[in-house]
Amino acid sequence: MGVWDKEQYVREGVPPFQDERRFTQVGKSVPKIDSPAKVRGEAIYTDDIVLPGMAYGRIKRCTEHAHAKIKKIDYSKALAHPGVLAVLIGDEAPKKWGMLPQTANETVLAVDKVRFNGEGVAAVAAVDEETAEIACDLIDVEYEPLPVLLDPFESMQRAGEIQIHEDAPGNILHEGEQVFGDVDKAFKECKYILEREFKTNMPQQGFLEPQAALANYDPQNGQLRLWSSSQIAHYLHRQISDVLEMPMNKIRVTVPTVGGGFGGKAEACVNEFVACLLSRKIGRPVKVTFDRSEVFYTNKGRHPCHMKMKIGLDADGYIQAVDFDNTLDKGAYAGWGIVVLFYSASMIHLPYKVPNARFRGRCVYTNKPSMGSMRGLGGVQPRFAMECMLDELAEMMGISPFELKMKNAVESGYTAVNNMYVPHTEYKRSLQKAVEKSGYLEKHGKLPFGKGIGLAGGYYITGTAYTLYMSYKPHTSVLLRVDTEGGVTLHCSAVDIGQGSNTVMAQMAAEALGVHFEDVHIQSHDTEVGTFDLGTFASRLTYATGIAIRDAAEKINGKLKEIAAGLLGCRADHLAIKDRKIYSIYEAERKSMEWEKVVEIAVNTTGSLAAMGHFSPPRRRGFDLTSGKRAQGANIGHSPTFGFSCQIFEVDVDLETGKIKVTRVTESGDMGTMINPMAADGQVEGSIVYNLGACLYEDQFFDKDGIHLNPNFQDYKMPTIMDMPEMDINTLTDSYDPTAPFGAKETGEGAVQPTFPAIVNAIYDAIGIRFTEVPITPEKVLKALKEKKKGK
Amino acid sequence: MFLNHFEYFAPQAAKDALDLCDRLGAKAKILAGGTDLLNLMKDKLLKPEYLIDINNVDEFKGIFYEPGKGAVIGAATKISEIERSEIIREKYFALHQAAGELGSVQVRNMATIGGNICNASPAAETPTPLVALGAKVVISSLSGDREMPLEEFILGNGETALAEGEILTKFLLPEPISGSVSRYGYIGLRDAMEIDAVNLAVNLALGEDGRIIKQLKLVMGSVFPRPLVSEEAPEILIGKEFSAELAEEAARAASSESKPISDIRASAEYRREIVAVLSRRLLQEAFSAAQGEV
Repeated sequence: MGVWDKEQYVREGVPPFQDERRFTQVGKSVPKIDSPAKVRGEAIYTDDIVLPGMAYGRIKRCTEHAHAKIKKIDYSKALAHPGVLAVLIGDEAPKKWGMLPQTANETVLAVDKVRFNGEGVAAVAAVDEETAEIACDLIDVEYEPLPVLLDPFESMQRAGEIQIHEDAPGNILHEGEQVFGDVDKAFKECKYILEREFKTNMPQQGFLEPQAALANYDPQNGQLRLWSSSQIAHYLHRQISDVLEMPMNKIRVTVPTVGGGFGGKAEACVNEFVACLLSRKIGRPVKVTFDRSEVFYTNKGRHPCHMKMKIGLDADGYIQAVDFDNTLDKGAYAGWGIVVLFYSASMIHLPYKVPNARFRGRCVYTNKPSMGSMRGLGGVQPRFAMECMLDELAEMMGISPFELKMKNAVESGYTAVNNMYVPHTEYKRSLQKAVEKSGYLEKHGKLPFGKGIGLAGGYYITGTAYTLYMSYKPHTSVLLRVDTEGGVTLHCSAVDIGQGSNTVMAQMAAEALGVHFEDVHIQSHDTEVGTFDLGTFASRLTYATGIAIRDAAEKINGKLKEIAAGLLGCRADHLAIKDRKIYSIYEAERKSMEWEKVVEIAVNTTGSLAAMGHFSPPRRRGFDLTSGKRAQGANIGHSPTFGFSCQIFEVDVDLETGKIKVTRVTESGDMGTMINPMAADGQVEGSIVYNLGACLYEDQFFDKDGIHLNPNFQDYKMPTIMDMPEMDINTLTDSYDPTAPFGAKETGEGAVQPTFPAIVNAIYDAIGIRFTEVPITPEKVLKALKEKKKGK
Repeated sequence: MFLNHFEYFAPQAAKDALDLCDRLGAKAKILAGGTDLLNLMKDKLLKPEYLIDINNVDEFKGIFYEPGKGAVIGAATKISEIERSEIIREKYFALHQAAGELGSVQVRNMATIGGNICNASPAAETPTPLVALGAKVVISSLSGDREMPLEEFILGNGETALAEGEILTKFLLPEPISGSVSRYGYIGLRDAMEIDAVNLAVNLALGEDGRIIKQLKLVMGSVFPRPLVSEEAPEILIGKEFSAELAEEAARAASSESKPISDIRASAEYRREIVAVLSRRLLQEAFSAAQGEV
């Protein structure tokens, strides 16, 4: 049983029948429903599937250049090789794709030129993998190398001389400005002003399962089936339809078990298009599975950001203005670029009250693999800057960073100057709890040289307010079926990438229907069997499916209650359903029936029960509350509600080698109700290790010609079990967002936000050096320590 | 990704293995643990026509110790067996430590000590302690065995003294002299599965008074194409009474002897710095431990 039992199950003074928080299924740490199969090795991943007559596809990549014109592709030898079934080149599928239809600029395979090292230039289908690999080697490609631009500033500067995309003058994907209030005037009245520059690295998601796709085109009926390890069955479905120029209703996308995504599979991927195109070409199923280097080449990791931030406080320490300038390294193609740009803009408006804010930013093309959506998209970089600067500002004021953050923290019902609305927050209590549990106030500034403690907070969205293509349809629909044969079945195409959405949906459906978690069958991961869902990103699933499930369940419950009311002789609105019983809330002892019996009667009278439920996010517009003026891109960042968290890191710095050892992490988060506390803790612990790696170890390297130097897990270093710190997770167990389904908010991405700055602030506390660039390697620490010594 | 096509042999006896090796010469590669070889083949850096799997040859495996004489370790002995061996732990501690740091548990269960040496990676774990412990290698062929010190066997990055038709079959570790202690240390980014930026081994013996340094060997890894034996550190310390200042001086000397390169793991400058830190720490650690031995 979960943490709810004592504190939450029954609240004092609230009669149980009126208490919306009296849950029986939600708040329980039931094991994830997919875990046993995974642990036993029985889960079926895309690459495990073998179809009769299946061929193997492989992509020929440009590994020798990062930017080059394609002069000639000669694949005659490959095609003539025994066992080779087809060759595909870029010209055969020239339609451009991308997560945002407005900026779609990627082709399946390079057309005319390659823009990053490792870009695909051709693909083959063959009878086995080995033949496919040999065939790739037999394809001759003649290149004319072009100047390589790897740094966004150089890219902008040399745009006159060399342009990465013909339609992107200046090598800029997008440039934007947002102004709220009067920033310059506000700074004039500030007592404490701090200006700093920050730079972040290029980590990637590091999911264990490389992308795999299996396509089966049936030439008889013109139907296409695609199995793929994707987070976004729907957006993938749409883009396959677009590139293959086939109607969506002729395509079915199924997602088998996914071995992690973290945002890396939240975009269509070249192997998916290639598998579909080759299958259509040869009329046989084709599978394309990446090896690890291909995962790195096609990457879509976190955008490196070059940030300038200026924060002003008044004499009492209240934030008056934030000025933020961000240059994002986009890599070669647009992808999620504009969304990431404006998410980073929105991040300065929370979790502190900022009455005046200005953002200037640009997303710049370079000859690197394209960046994309990585866990905590757009948030991690500005959070790093802002939380480190508040730490420094607190020092300038001579107060504790905790005090400064408490002073400025937002409260429930807050509307930011860009019109972002926070219906519910327990951020202050998260800060207090983490501080209390870690002994932060007793330790901060008082530990011996080399040991330090650092605090940082953060927040993240619980789903987006808009689709990426302009449509205002519901973002999630579910179908609930109740009958005497299958029991309860929930249909929704939402994809569980390991975070536990299938389990959480089952718990919420059981709660909403008044049955048990084990009674609910989940039909997800499929665009034909499942109803519409936008995808697994933006920490949206618990909230979105929760509302849709509640909506559908109410309709089913209404029918059952009507029938039961007649049988029990009472009013339907006096009935409640819980623990598989339908009973009168006033006379529970006398008027009660087995839920199953009522279902049987309902089915026997009018047939199986089914109901749709929908979720549409509130439509909020971003504009300047002080002037009423619209701001470009400011609709991005709004969310139905937000999760908050605080992390406190303790570190030991080896003063001779510069090695940083994270000894302890104390966390407290506000994610509303934890639908499954064990799964929620797992998300938080995973988040901490995730960004601990990106802060201390992980980065991708390129030589001067743009050749990727570490596209493998040997040289791209993620934390191992030996690097795990002790973690004390104290998610608030009594947080409840009354506007959210079952009171639940996000945690999948919020908990990655405070990690960078908490570590960096801890390092400052240990050795008095403020790092403004990540990753912070031992070498950088040692160099900084030496410089500090010299400075004295 | 795919290996080239090759013929596979799995001889059961040493003689058969040597015979195959003699006949197939440069067209063959010896397959021991395969944790390096198969990766090189997957990357198409090696395309041997024949693989001679020596895992079934009992004569090439095992750890044998004879008091007063030392240890013999078969080249095809698994790293995990070395890591867990009581006698290695007791007598050749630095090797025990290094074996425990090589790769992951799965890799250690496959990889062999002979393979780790023949792969001759400058960043490898076992060459440094083995050289520090005075290991000799036995190289076998149909025409007989020859012996040489390990530091002469490894010639450079991926290069060894192995000639065509020869197999590295044994390591001979001399009996540690009384009062001696060995230690291994490394620095890398993370705490496991690491390719070291620098590794180092120290083998130190104290005189009967427990203060004067009788013997010292300090070997640096990952700072030169092959294990680098410090010449200056013993000159500074042997015959002297151990002190923190002398250890620092020896460590600085070792650092200035090192010739590291800059790569994505670390810069040359940082590596030199770390050689000094690791040397001093290991010297101090070995000294303290040796005092306990006397």
